[in-house]
Amino acid sequence: MPEDQERFQALLDNHRGILYKVCYSYCRNRDDREDLAQEIVVQLWCSFRRFDKRFRFSTWMYRIALNVAISYARRESTRARHMISDEARILTAADEAKSQPEELGLLYRFIERLDELNKALALLYLDGNSYEEIAGVLGISETNVATKINRLKNSMKRELRGNR
Amino acid sequence: MADLDELKAKWDEQNRRLEKSIRLNCELFRATKLTAVESELRRTAIYAGLEAGMWLIVVIALGNFIAVHMRTRELAFSAAAADVMSIGMTIALIRRMAGALHIDYAGPIAAIQKQVETLRILRIRTIQRGVLFGSVLWVPWLAVTLYGIFGVDLYRGADPAWLTGNVLFGLALFPAARWVSKKYGVRLGHSPLIQRMAKDLAGSELNAAQTFLARLEEFERE
Repeated sequence: MPEDQERFQALLDNHRGILYKVCYSYCRNRDDREDLAQEIVVQLWCSFRRFDKRFRFSTWMYRIALNVAISYARRESTRARHMISDEARILTAADEAKSQPEELGLLYRFIERLDELNKALALLYLDGNSYEEIAGVLGISETNVATKINRLKNSMKRELRGNR
Repeated sequence: MADLDELKAKWDEQNRRLEKSIRLNCELFRATKLTAVESELRRTAIYAGLEAGMWLIVVIALGNFIAVHMRTRELAFSAAAADVMSIGMTIALIRRMAGALHIDYAGPIAAIQKQVETLRILRIRTIQRGVLFGSVLWVPWLAVTLYGIFGVDLYRGADPAWLTGNVLFGLALFPAARWVSKKYGVRLGHSPLIQRMAKDLAGSELNAAQTFLARLEEFERE
C-alpha cells in the first residue's frame, strides 16, 4: 500500500470515533450509516493531499465529515438505497446502544431531532471543541457559537423537563 | 435534572467505550484502490462536463445547419431557436461543472453548504428550463431533425394553423408536465433518478433548496 495511503489509514483509524458519531447522528438506519461512512472516507481521501499538517487533523476531518453528512441528509429523499453485506462495511461497532444510560438516550434523541446545522453544532460542542474551533468548523463567529449553544442548552432543558 | 454540560461527562464516557468497540475495516482500504475512487462532487463535474460536451456538438451541428440553409427562412429560424436553447444548456452545464470542481468540503460548513445548495438550484433550474424550452420549441427541433437526417421539410405545405396549434400545445405541455410530476412523481418510477427529475420539475426540490439557503443565512446571523 502506498505510503500516503498508509498514513491516511492510520490517521483515520485514530479518529474513527468522529466518523462513527457523525454517521450515527445523521442517519437512522444501519445501511445509510455505512453508505455515508463510505462517502466520507472517499471525500477525506480525495482531500488528503491538500491537508495542511499545521492544523489539527480532527478539525479538518470534522469539517469534511459534517459537510458530506449534511449534503447526504439533504439528498435523502432521492438517494438510491441498497443493502450492504457485513463484509463490505467500513465501520462496525458492538451493540452499545442497549447499554446507554437513560439520559444519554434522551440526549441522542434530542440531537436526532435537531436540524442539520444545529446537529453539527451540538456534536462539536459535546466533543469538547472550543468555541473558537467550533466557529472555525462552522464558519460563523464565536459570539454566534456561544449564543446558539445557550439556545441549545435551554431547548434541551425544556425537553428534559417535558420528559419527566 | 441533567443539562447539556452535565451530560457532556456521560458523553465522554460513552465515547471512550465506543472507541474500544468501533472497528474500521482496514482490509477494505487495502482492497480498494483508493487512488481510483472519485468523490461524488467530482462525478457530478464529470457528468456535467460530458453533457456539456454533447450539447456543444449540437451547437456546432446547428450552426452548420443554419449556414447551409440560410436561404430557407423557416428552417434557418428553427435551427437558430434550437441553437439558442443548446447554447443556454451548454453554458448552464459548464457552470455546474465549474461549481462542482470549485467546492472544497474541507471549507467552513456554512459557506460550503451555500455553494452546494446553489449548485443544486442551478441543476434544478437547468432541468426546468430544458423541459420548458424543449416543450415550446419541439416543432423547430422536429423540423431541423427531420430535414437534417431524412431530408424531409416539415414546413413545406404545412398549414399555419397546424403550426400555431402545435406551438400552443408545446406551451401547455410544460405546466401539464409539472402538474403530473407534483401529483404522480412518487409513482412515476422506482428509479431515484426519475423521481428526482419529477421533483425537480414539480418545483418541490427548488423550494426546499431555497428554504435551506434562507436557513443557512439565518444560521450565520447572530
